[in-house]
Amino acid sequence: MMSLLALLSSEYATHLAILVGIYLILAQSLNLTFGLGQLFNLAHVASYAVGAYATALLSTEGGCSFFACVVASVVLAGVFSLTLGSIALRLTNDYFAIGTLAFGAVISALLANWRSLTHGVLGIPGIPRPNLLGVDFYDNRNFLALLLFFVVVVQGTFFLISRSPFGRALRALAEYDQAAAALGANTRRIRNISFLLSSSAAGLAGSFFAYYLNYIDPSSFSLSEMIFLLTIVIVGRPGSFFGVILSTALLVLLPEPLRFLNLDSATLGPMRQLLYASILFAIVWWKRKSIFPEQREV
Amino acid sequence: MLSISALEVAFQETTVLKGLSLSAAAGETVGIIGPNGSGKTTLFNCISGFAAQRSGTISLKDQEIQSLPPHERARKGLGRVFQNFGIFRQMTLLENMLLALESRPGEELSVSPWSSAARRRKEEAMERLREIHLEAKALNKASSLSGGQMRLLEIMRTVAAGAEVFLLDEPTAGVSPRMKDDVTEIIRRLQALKKTVLIIEHDITFIERFCGRIVVLNEGHVVLDDIPERVRADERLKEIYFGQGA
Ligand SMILES: Nc1ncnc2c1ncn2[C@@H]1O[C@H](COP(=O)(O)OP(=O)(O)OP(=O)(O)O)[C@@H](O)[C@H]1O
Ligand SMILES: [Mg+2]
Repeated sequence: MMSLLALLSSEYATHLAILVGIYLILAQSLNLTFGLGQLFNLAHVASYAVGAYATALLSTEGGCSFFACVVASVVLAGVFSLTLGSIALRLTNDYFAIGTLAFGAVISALLANWRSLTHGVLGIPGIPRPNLLGVDFYDNRNFLALLLFFVVVVQGTFFLISRSPFGRALRALAEYDQAAAALGANTRRIRNISFLLSSSAAGLAGSFFAYYLNYIDPSSFSLSEMIFLLTIVIVGRPGSFFGVILSTALLVLLPEPLRFLNLDSATLGPMRQLLYASILFAIVWWKRKSIFPEQREV
Repeated sequence: MLSISALEVAFQETTVLKGLSLSAAAGETVGIIGPNGSGKTTLFNCISGFAAQRSGTISLKDQEIQSLPPHERARKGLGRVFQNFGIFRQMTLLENMLLALESRPGEELSVSPWSSAARRRKEEAMERLREIHLEAKALNKASSLSGGQMRLLEIMRTVAAGAEVFLLDEPTAGVSPRMKDDVTEIIRRLQALKKTVLIIEHDITFIERFCGRIVVLNEGHVVLDDIPERVRADERLKEIYFGQGA
């Protein structure tokens, strides 16, 4: 009992809570486009990267404040999504997935190769923790409290959106685009807004990720990260608000016991990816009839 | 009210509508018949904006609408009922109705479910469901409805969206014989509301009950456009349906 309490209040538990918090923002925002809107958005991690790099660069080289960095990350990720959306949202279904995947690949290539800006694969070190209200955010418990505030705001916002007329319209056009348009719903605009909201939140998650690790490099924003996020939403059931919250906690914490097997990190990384890929495959196989309801057309 | 002139629609090489002209006055009910593949659904798709025309004009209330996107045509009063059921099966009946009310131009939308506008819409949605005797199923998923009930819901939803012109694509398809009377009744209600109605049907005896005019399409042309009695008596009708020498 004592040891459980000790574990829960330990630095390790705080670390895990921070990870869960960041992924809650990422996964719930992906759940808007991919879950409710059934848009196969494979560029979510790219928005996350845009947010992380914005904060990393502005806080180190720009010396910008916490608020300036967070706002810049959110806005830049939003602008990124509008650019992407103006192209990709003209594509339908499978082509949309390929389009966003290609866009994500462009971002990955830029992160690795635009060395003068991103420092390439060396990444950006020395990102300072927020300097705010005289609180020491190098103490992870304080950092967690700050993050939790944003997590609650984001979850609350996405909850309200999912139950609003906007969320309803988004679900409607996912099921039968033309029937929604025939009622007067501006389908292009609704998709664009969902994309904007979702990416901006991913930018926020990126900002916190950079602040937390104090160091980022392109390896955090790879395709396997995208697969992880898809796994969370699919396991939680696409479109389900509470399902995604539960599956985020479950899947972020799931590989943790592997740490106690005394494996070296070169084995641990691939093992986690294998674990997630198997879960994704298994769920998609078992639930292939029900994860995505049929989409209709005239 | 609705006027189509010299409409041409083509998919790649095949021309489906070949210079079709047709109009309907306000409050009129027009039946459209024609063999399978004669272009009836394509005509409706083009009027609602889901199929691009190669040439020709479409006017609604004396305004040309052929270059507007589908949702703007809907907001000008064009309603569409789909051959393959346009209701959202994953949603409840109430949500289906709310969607129509929320898509109307000028509706005050917010994220708060407690706003007075949201409450008013919910009441109106329930009232609409009561009119088609489905209020008890308001919170059920629409996928639980029978074909006939889905039709009633879809037509009433289009009324709620504020449509003045109704394009009904085979409203009795997938409807049990017992429910056909309910569909008849709701079409009569549209007529009583002075709506303009275009109905595609295969069964001429079904539509001649409420259509003052029947238009026969064949191979992308209007072949006949007349009162039901004369269309029925016309030799060309038999030719189209049963081939030459029938
Ligand atoms: N999107 C499309 N792409 C290519 N061809 C199409 C498309 N839509 C319709 N067609 C073709 O256009 C022709 C007319 O089809 P349409 O659906 O309008 O017929 P219909 O009169 O509604 O028939 P039915 O009575 O079977 O509903 C058909 O030959 C069909 O194959
Ligand atoms: Mg048809």
